[in-house]
Amino acid sequence: MAVVTDTEQGHHARPRGWSRWLAATNHKDIGTLYLWFSFTMFLTGGVMALGIRAELFQPGLQFWQPDLFNQLTTLHGLIMVFGAIMPAFTGMANWLLPLMIGAPDMAFARMNNWSFWLLPPAALLLIVSFAVPGGAASAGWTLYAPLSTQMGMGMDLTIFAIHIMGISSIMGSINIIVTILNLRAPGMTLMKMPMFAWASLITAYLIIAVMPVLAGVVTMVLTDRHFGTHFFNAAGGGDPVLYQHVFWFFGHPEVYIMALPAFGIVSHILPTFARKPLFGYASMVYATSSIALLSFMVWAHHMFTTGMPATAQLFFMYATMLIAVPTGVKVFNWIATLWQGSISFETPMLFAIGFVCLFTVGGLSGVTLSVAAVDIQLQDSYYVVAHFHYVLVAGALFSLFAAVYYWFPKMSGRMYSERLGKLHFWWSLVWFNVTFFPMHFLGLAGMPRRIPDYALQFTSFNEIASVGAFCFGLGQLIFLYNILWSLRRGDPAPAKPWEGADTLEWQLPSPAPYHSFVEAPELEVGENGAIRGMKGGVHH
Amino acid sequence: MRADTRRSANLALLKKLALIALLMFGFAWGLIPIYRVICEVTGINQLQRADAVGKAARGAAAAEVLLTFDATVQAGLPWQVRPLTGQLRARPGEFVKVEYEIVNAGAREVVGQAIPRYLPAAAGEYVKKLDCFCFKQQAFAPGERRRFPVVFFVDPALPEAVREITLSYTVFDVPGKGA
Repeated sequence: MAVVTDTEQGHHARPRGWSRWLAATNHKDIGTLYLWFSFTMFLTGGVMALGIRAELFQPGLQFWQPDLFNQLTTLHGLIMVFGAIMPAFTGMANWLLPLMIGAPDMAFARMNNWSFWLLPPAALLLIVSFAVPGGAASAGWTLYAPLSTQMGMGMDLTIFAIHIMGISSIMGSINIIVTILNLRAPGMTLMKMPMFAWASLITAYLIIAVMPVLAGVVTMVLTDRHFGTHFFNAAGGGDPVLYQHVFWFFGHPEVYIMALPAFGIVSHILPTFARKPLFGYASMVYATSSIALLSFMVWAHHMFTTGMPATAQLFFMYATMLIAVPTGVKVFNWIATLWQGSISFETPMLFAIGFVCLFTVGGLSGVTLSVAAVDIQLQDSYYVVAHFHYVLVAGALFSLFAAVYYWFPKMSGRMYSERLGKLHFWWSLVWFNVTFFPMHFLGLAGMPRRIPDYALQFTSFNEIASVGAFCFGLGQLIFLYNILWSLRRGDPAPAKPWEGADTLEWQLPSPAPYHSFVEAPELEVGENGAIRGMKGGVHH
Repeated sequence: MRADTRRSANLALLKKLALIALLMFGFAWGLIPIYRVICEVTGINQLQRADAVGKAARGAAAAEVLLTFDATVQAGLPWQVRPLTGQLRARPGEFVKVEYEIVNAGAREVVGQAIPRYLPAAAGEYVKKLDCFCFKQQAFAPGERRRFPVVFFVDPALPEAVREITLSYTVFDVPGKGA
């Protein structure tokens, strides 16, 4: 392989100490910061989830007053969505995109630094809000008016946090789009690009289109609270239902912002460990794009019980069901990729297969909920909670674990412990299902979400779910231990630890050089970024 | 591509994307008038306007409907609102007039707005109001007492299954108005 490795360190020398991180402009350093930040937020939001499950272990009030319980459910949602899942995908994109498409770095390195460093203050605002008079926001992560127009200053802190995180993710997305559209190495054409790059590109467009809408609607809440406007105040001529329309215009594409990058990651890992090219690459690209477009036309399926006309209910119901078509294309393509493959089950593959199975369960309960007549019964019940945890935990989170294990050798230069990785997978798989599967039954039996207390007949399933949640949470420490141990003691990783991997990042040594592709390589590329030939490419 | 041409291409794209983000921020605010226009055009959420009488077949000899009247006041609004008629029976198509009495028991001028609500909610579209104090905001001086009529008829198209309708008003303080 003709890789010119320039070991001389000129003015691009690697900065040392804290300034390396605070003033980071290197995409790998910023990616690492994003990943550690999101893992910290994952643990923070996870502790809140355990607080919720502890209270729900038995009926009655044991640990928290209802008000604090509501704050925990609200902040758990906000922190997991904006603090854990979204930054984790941005971190992955930062680390991997330049390596996958042969770019020297992200397009705007300093803006990249700012995108990341806006996040910790925003997270701090959210956490500090527990300590202000009135406590943290407790209107649910959707911050529905008129609840959100009434609460204490915790809501103001939350609104500011959302503004800051919104700006951060918009800047991150601009960086991703410019990098992908302008910095691809010669030969890396759009319709040959790896699926993770495609998914990140489309996700970034979604973020730019809808995060400003969220910023707008929470700004309206802010002016309703403090500046005498009545956007959502019925008495002043406003309408609380209007909040829901504007919020879900953001909220539904947001669902795909957290799902599309996961689709991209799985579309790398399944072909690698099945030792076959991805089945139907072009259809995968088109399916991803159509999911993104359709996501703008289905928002009111979150609002079937607001008294919409039947015509509108039918429109949003059919439009929602339509999304199952491109999503089905993807699931069938993944299965066809595995078909007659020479499959081996390393940890990333286990998580990817777990993703395909469990995400499909969550997808199917989503199709169930899309039926307006059924949704009216199940709205705001634990069935909904079960549904979105199947797509967000077994979907987005499992794909992120798969990604960390898969690219860990390239990022760190060391192999993770396969034994601990497999333990982490099976432990998570079992306890995930113990936690969330009973919630389907609870919802069907009529248990509402976001309540600290419940009727006695729901006790058994809640106890099962709480035991599952604590075991699931504990199991994530296996992951942390594995990462920390492997960073120091893991076996040195070869440049290409996976036999079936063929994208550009595996052409680099492990760990990836601090400054990779300082000069762009000449590439000969197959579908899904498979490298057939490479000339040039300079690294420091 | 040379470094400076690449840089200017990147900046050009950055500006376009930032413009999209700004436009989408504006779009969120634009949704407010769009929403209002859609509600007006389709007749959804038409709470504060008289209904068109149209050619509704009045006087049809359908069974009587039991009408119940109620009112609630938003917490903190120093008003007493009560219907002078608690219940009455009326045939669909027959004009009904009831009165509500509102007293401002507070020591300041208050502007209020009543929002009607129907039980069952699906009966709402069959209650055709011709006059109502809920059509506009009402200003009350301290201690002022006034009576307001509500004139309406029940559309004879009301499904046979619905024979009881509750009309309930919630009166809100209009922020920023009054003393």
